[in-house]
Amino acid sequence: MIRDALDRAKAADARHSIFRELLEEPPSTEPAFVFSASDNLVTADLGTCGGSRILEGHRPVFDATAVARMREAGGSLIGKTNLDEFGFGHFSVDSGYGVPLNPFDAERSCGGPCGGAACAAASLDGHVALAAGGSLSGPAGFCGVYGLTPTYGRVSRHGVLDCGSSSDRVGLLALDPGRLSECLPVIAGRDPRDPTSCVQPAPETEGRIGSIAVPEDATAGVDADVRTAFEAALEMLTSMGFEIATVATPSLAYAPAAHRVLVVAEASTNVAKYVGMRYGRQDGDLSMGFDDYFTHFRSEYFGDEAKLMTILGTYCRMEGNRDRYYAKALKVRAQTIGMYKELFETYDAVLTPSMPSVPPRFDAIAGMTAAEKHGYGRLTAGPSLAGLPHLSVPCGYGGTGLPVGMQFAAAHWNEGMLLRMAADWDSAFEVRRAEAVR
Amino acid sequence: MKIGLEVHVQLPTESKIFCSCPTTDASAPNTHVCPVCLGMPGSKPVLNRKVLEHGIALAKMLGCTVADTTWFSRKTYFYPDMSKGIQVTQHDCPVGRKGVYLIDGKKPVRITQIHIEEDPGKTKRVGDRSSLIDYNRSGIPLAEIVTEPDLKSPAEAREFLKQLVQDIRHTLGMPEDDERSIRCDCNISVGGERCEVKNVTGLRNVERALTFELIRQTKVQKAGGTIVRETRRFDEERGVTVSVRKKEFEADYGYIDEPDLGIFRIKELADSIAIAESPQNRIARLSRQYDVDERTAKQLVSTSMELTDLFEAAAAATDVKTAIAWVKGAVSANWKAFEDRSEEEGGPTTDGIIALIGRFHAGGMTDSECAIELKAYMTGEDRGTLRSGSSDLDDAVEAYLDENPGVVEDYRGNDKAVNKVIGAIMRTTGGAHSSADVVEAARRALGKRL
Ligand SMILES: [Zn+2]
Repeated sequence: MIRDALDRAKAADARHSIFRELLEEPPSTEPAFVFSASDNLVTADLGTCGGSRILEGHRPVFDATAVARMREAGGSLIGKTNLDEFGFGHFSVDSGYGVPLNPFDAERSCGGPCGGAACAAASLDGHVALAAGGSLSGPAGFCGVYGLTPTYGRVSRHGVLDCGSSSDRVGLLALDPGRLSECLPVIAGRDPRDPTSCVQPAPETEGRIGSIAVPEDATAGVDADVRTAFEAALEMLTSMGFEIATVATPSLAYAPAAHRVLVVAEASTNVAKYVGMRYGRQDGDLSMGFDDYFTHFRSEYFGDEAKLMTILGTYCRMEGNRDRYYAKALKVRAQTIGMYKELFETYDAVLTPSMPSVPPRFDAIAGMTAAEKHGYGRLTAGPSLAGLPHLSVPCGYGGTGLPVGMQFAAAHWNEGMLLRMAADWDSAFEVRRAEAVR
Repeated sequence: MKIGLEVHVQLPTESKIFCSCPTTDASAPNTHVCPVCLGMPGSKPVLNRKVLEHGIALAKMLGCTVADTTWFSRKTYFYPDMSKGIQVTQHDCPVGRKGVYLIDGKKPVRITQIHIEEDPGKTKRVGDRSSLIDYNRSGIPLAEIVTEPDLKSPAEAREFLKQLVQDIRHTLGMPEDDERSIRCDCNISVGGERCEVKNVTGLRNVERALTFELIRQTKVQKAGGTIVRETRRFDEERGVTVSVRKKEFEADYGYIDEPDLGIFRIKELADSIAIAESPQNRIARLSRQYDVDERTAKQLVSTSMELTDLFEAAAAATDVKTAIAWVKGAVSANWKAFEDRSEEEGGPTTDGIIALIGRFHAGGMTDSECAIELKAYMTGEDRGTLRSGSSDLDDAVEAYLDENPGVVEDYRGNDKAVNKVIGAIMRTTGGAHSSADVVEAARRALGKRL
């Protein structure tokens, strides 16, 4: 069975360029289940590069806690999925190790940063993909799978190659929402090696979402396919007995910019350790002074997006800019959390589409401006910034059969409600499988 | 002249600030390391609570306002011995702010802040073209104490550091023989721009570096030149400071909050930490409360804080004059032997010493009997031997004083006159008695004749 799973993974990888590295040989004992991990989760047996050439050849000496817990539960890690360099991007096109191709249309993006993980979840039967990022809704939406991003602190970040440390989370992607419910308790819980992981009771599965708030501008500027699918989904939710109300969320307008500032500011300090010393590539000219050596390595082996992120992040932290960008973004975060808290006094969940369009074509992405690319994160920015648990579910298919996802965000620690919603939705909505599965 | 210091003190913890690697000396480079202090991708720091406790204790010792809530910041600069490319320190919210430290219990030096941070690794130059890096030091916990430019001379800076270090050791319970040295960044200006001499190790070098700077800056100004703001380095071998880089404005370290550690609400912890009276405060209090001269108070404190505890207990049991005479005399003279023996099972105790002084005070013993009893009790030496030796010594001292009555007069005005007696007795008795015994006998005899 494991040999089978590995063979199918290899075949899917050949078609869709999912993995940065795959297990060569199956383990000697039959595992209870198989899983993959995005390549920004460190693993001791398979290498870890975080999508960056600067980490080429890096063999970590330990497993990320989430990976270790999946293994302890009987899982076998079959491969490391591809992603945007250091988890920074919306399309998974900025990796040093190839671009994962959308399972519904190989000329389109899988979403980012963890596109490979969503593609694995969509392409491999019964597969569960572990992935780290500020939100998994983008890739989940683009690949037509369920994606759960838990509350910040629910799952240990020990072993995550940090991007935006204060919003990064380890979550799960699968075509079968039952797999999410099974695996979340496995990876969740306090970890003494990550002080930001929290002691919290296990996700409550009894609670059900009753009332849903939809921001009045949820579909502003989204493409027609997304609007149609989302409106149909709202009707279906109503018919299923959910109460839906339109709400005004003016302060959410600042979330995308604030989120971006915090991510780039933190990420620019997180990548400061990558200088061609200690791990990864270290084959530079040692006769250089250290400044030149570091500069050479970073110029040579960071991709353009990682460089842009570093420059923007450093700019936001500079004396004189810090208050204008970084400190202000922290204030917006506090305000955003406050706004959500107020909403959750009345409603159980906030619902929006996951992405503003169906998966874009690679040639369209190549022509996008930085602002246009960034615009793809506007619907996930709020929950990411506020550390809320959120879930993307497949909710429709555009004209040419391309998946559309919608995203439920719940109050902190309410993953149980989201998982219950995933199960309810899955029994009512017919989720289509990508061609690769068939 | 204005001098301000940034003093780095290593905090005495068993493990490093963010991991469980030991802080003890390693047998080889890069052996006390782990993924955290090596900054391996994916590793996360976990704060050693002891570091926070030490930081709070020092903040209190310095009279700082202790923050209710504190957190850490990332300071970015590239250097090979910085394993993460960032140093985790405190920027926005240090553990303590706005304190005052009193030199000699009276001269105030304002403390800007005290914060805690991690030490980077160590770079060791090997030849001209290469360096080796040892990360054993990476993650060693430090406290950085920043003063206002309130120090007025290199000698005063050294005295400040000497007293500060003594107080820190006592407050944190560091052993006397602890060899952890302090490192200072010294800011000095003689009127123009200020220069910073980075990373000077040890008290003596701080004074040397500041003295060199004082002379250099004065010369530049006298010659009509201007001092430029810059960072300098102290060359210990040559005893000179050398310019490292010009510094028109502050370096931009791009501080952000450390997201991996979270926020620490420390009010309760801070309230629960009581700090012992520092040695300098005790010196000040003893001279105030008991009217003991400052030199004596300093002498007692530098011998041992326990000795001053004993003095206070003896003063309460008898009177200040009796207590000071004995504590300064026989008890101080035999203190070293007492300290060693008091560790032993059934060894002498401070209560035993106080009881002997009490007996003398109540008239149960003569002066010289009490001296012998104390010595016998504290050192474990045989009473009979002591008695014969001591009467010889006492006789010699008395005879000398009979012949030289002027010494008693001198002693009235100047404590140092005792040295005359000691010198003479040491010569005439040809080293038959230990110098401590001679000092003690001389003081006792002089005291009686006053
Ligand atoms: Zn360590």
